[in-house]
Amino acid sequence: MKTLSNFLGERLNVIGAWLLALLWVTPLLYAIWAAVHPIEYEANFDIFAPLTTYNFTNAWSQAPFARYLVNTVLMTTMIVISQFILCTFVAFAFARFEFPFKNILFALVLLQLLIMPDILIVENYKTIRFLGIMDTILAIGLPYMASGFGIFLLRQTFKSIPKELDDAARIDGAGVLRIIWNVYVPLSMPTFVAYGLVSVSFHWNNFLWPLIITNSVETRPLTVGLSIFSMSEAGVEWATISAGTLMTTAPLFIAFLIFQRQFIASFMTAGIK
Amino acid sequence: MIKTYIKIISLFAFIFSLSSFSAKAVELEFYFPVAVGGAAATTVEELSNKYMELNPGVTIKPIYAGSYTDATTKAITAAKGGNPPPMAVLIAIDIFKFYDEDLVMPWDDILTAEEKENWIGGFYSAFMKNSQIDGVTYGIPFQRSTPVLYYNKDAFREAGLDPEKPPQNWAEQLEYAKKLTKKGSDGNIERYGIRIPTKGFPSWLTSGLIYQNGGQMTNGLGTETFLDTPEVIEAVQYLVDLSEKHKVMRPGTLEWGATPKAFFEGQTAMMWTTTGNLTNVRKNAPFDFGVAMLPAGKSFGAPTGGGNFYIFKGTPEAELQATKDFVKWMTAPDQAGVWTMATGYVAPRPDAWETQAMKDYVADFPPALVAKEQLAYADAEFSTYENPKTVKIFNTALENVMSGSISPADAMKQAQIDIDKILKDYR
Repeated sequence: MKTLSNFLGERLNVIGAWLLALLWVTPLLYAIWAAVHPIEYEANFDIFAPLTTYNFTNAWSQAPFARYLVNTVLMTTMIVISQFILCTFVAFAFARFEFPFKNILFALVLLQLLIMPDILIVENYKTIRFLGIMDTILAIGLPYMASGFGIFLLRQTFKSIPKELDDAARIDGAGVLRIIWNVYVPLSMPTFVAYGLVSVSFHWNNFLWPLIITNSVETRPLTVGLSIFSMSEAGVEWATISAGTLMTTAPLFIAFLIFQRQFIASFMTAGIK
Repeated sequence: MIKTYIKIISLFAFIFSLSSFSAKAVELEFYFPVAVGGAAATTVEELSNKYMELNPGVTIKPIYAGSYTDATTKAITAAKGGNPPPMAVLIAIDIFKFYDEDLVMPWDDILTAEEKENWIGGFYSAFMKNSQIDGVTYGIPFQRSTPVLYYNKDAFREAGLDPEKPPQNWAEQLEYAKKLTKKGSDGNIERYGIRIPTKGFPSWLTSGLIYQNGGQMTNGLGTETFLDTPEVIEAVQYLVDLSEKHKVMRPGTLEWGATPKAFFEGQTAMMWTTTGNLTNVRKNAPFDFGVAMLPAGKSFGAPTGGGNFYIFKGTPEAELQATKDFVKWMTAPDQAGVWTMATGYVAPRPDAWETQAMKDYVADFPPALVAKEQLAYADAEFSTYENPKTVKIFNTALENVMSGSISPADAMKQAQIDIDKILKDYR
């Protein structure tokens, strides 16, 4: 009896998982379908429909996507590396050092989580202009480098690392930097991976701020190129949009497929859902 | 260990050095949105390049700024951040918002009396309605449009209608739509007679019905709306009746973006949509199609739409003069013609239709003329202070009516009350 109910429960779990997976993958499957078939088959399913690469060449020719891809990769790499470095040091200070007003300062950092970045657009714009770095990739990344979320996440992870490991390293003569690099960072790898993934996908997809702060092809990211296809007045060309979207998300998607196992393991450990 | 640091630091230096080059020449920046497809962006760049060839002292830098909403956000941020572009093409109906926030300057300030008379006076008056406040010009019409009726001539023949005689008035529109509505063998409706999209920005097309019914939506000063007047409510009732009572239009709210597709696939025999779609329809409709003015109610009527050139406060005098020259050149007959033929927007001045290139174009493709003829009956698009908020109230009310959850009278009365609350501070 017990085994039967266990068996049924397991089955339900599996069915549920499949249903959710199907729901998740449907838009992607549709995008692939629409992208590789002529425009007449956008809404008509026909298994023998002729294949075409026209949508990809059409989308590719409407904006300098190669340059945009380089910009997006530079931008996300720069942001994520800066976030890792800044957040690691700040988080370590909050986790392990004692200094005046520590809690108040930490509360101020947390406050950042409550503020929508969009509200600060004008202030950020003024700062960037003051620094004289308008229309650069650095300008896109700068407001995001000190991430309250990253600091919070890493601080919690560092706090959960046994103090004994820290002490042992200290007895062996390690300095603070060495302790961070050889004890805290390796043990927090899952958090770094999970946070990095969230951050990469956020900045890869970010649109409004890059659009506002940049003016030239040399600095603009993929999302700005992609937005050409989403104009609302003339009706929607699903085939072109699908091809464009697949092109711009492909690098992320491929990276995810390659590192899938590590990602899932990290998410389980880091507890970000 | 140290090596790793050095690697990270040098990677940084590399990325920073790559990212920090940008042009710093003296130039006129010009933000433009794209609302109708890739050709628009290319054409703006081609025209700018041509202008620079003719005027070696001036550099024009056209900057793509996303949709109308994005472009507005970008321009406002830049202006408030102390770095306004000399000019931007932004949606005409945001005129009160830019005025209210003190961001744009009147064109009148930099125009001579002769220019006011001949240049400003040379635009279609329908387009100037969303471009002036109390007679002062803040916007120069550029990418402007108006909705028209597209119809499937093959379906007309099949239903026994004359394909050269599109409906002229509301009664004919309904009668034709009934004849064009076709049931399949299973009793389901295979093809509807008409489709007036009601999701996306329903207020735009509905305002066509309101003007045809002799109504007015606003006082033209942006401070008062008249949504609860009988003319407005009747117009909305006509729209609902097409689907609810007469069953000639698909029930529920109908997506703007999916409407051309429904027309191409024969799901509807007639549709209302912007002239900006003309090139798209010409390219993709697999049947013989016609274009006509929106049918008349008590009279013909239609709204205008689209974007204007604005100039921003804080621009140095020399740049303003250069900007004026550039915009005058862009709206001059030859360039306006190039723009119209590339995009389907309506050339904003009567003289633009007189060039040889435009005469050849309309001779080859007469439907392009329909929008121009309709301009004689066209009026302003809905526009008030706090426009994003008020238009949203109006749109939501219309969507609720179309989804059947509220009667036109109740919805419009409530919308009027909500809008009054917002606008009372401006009176």
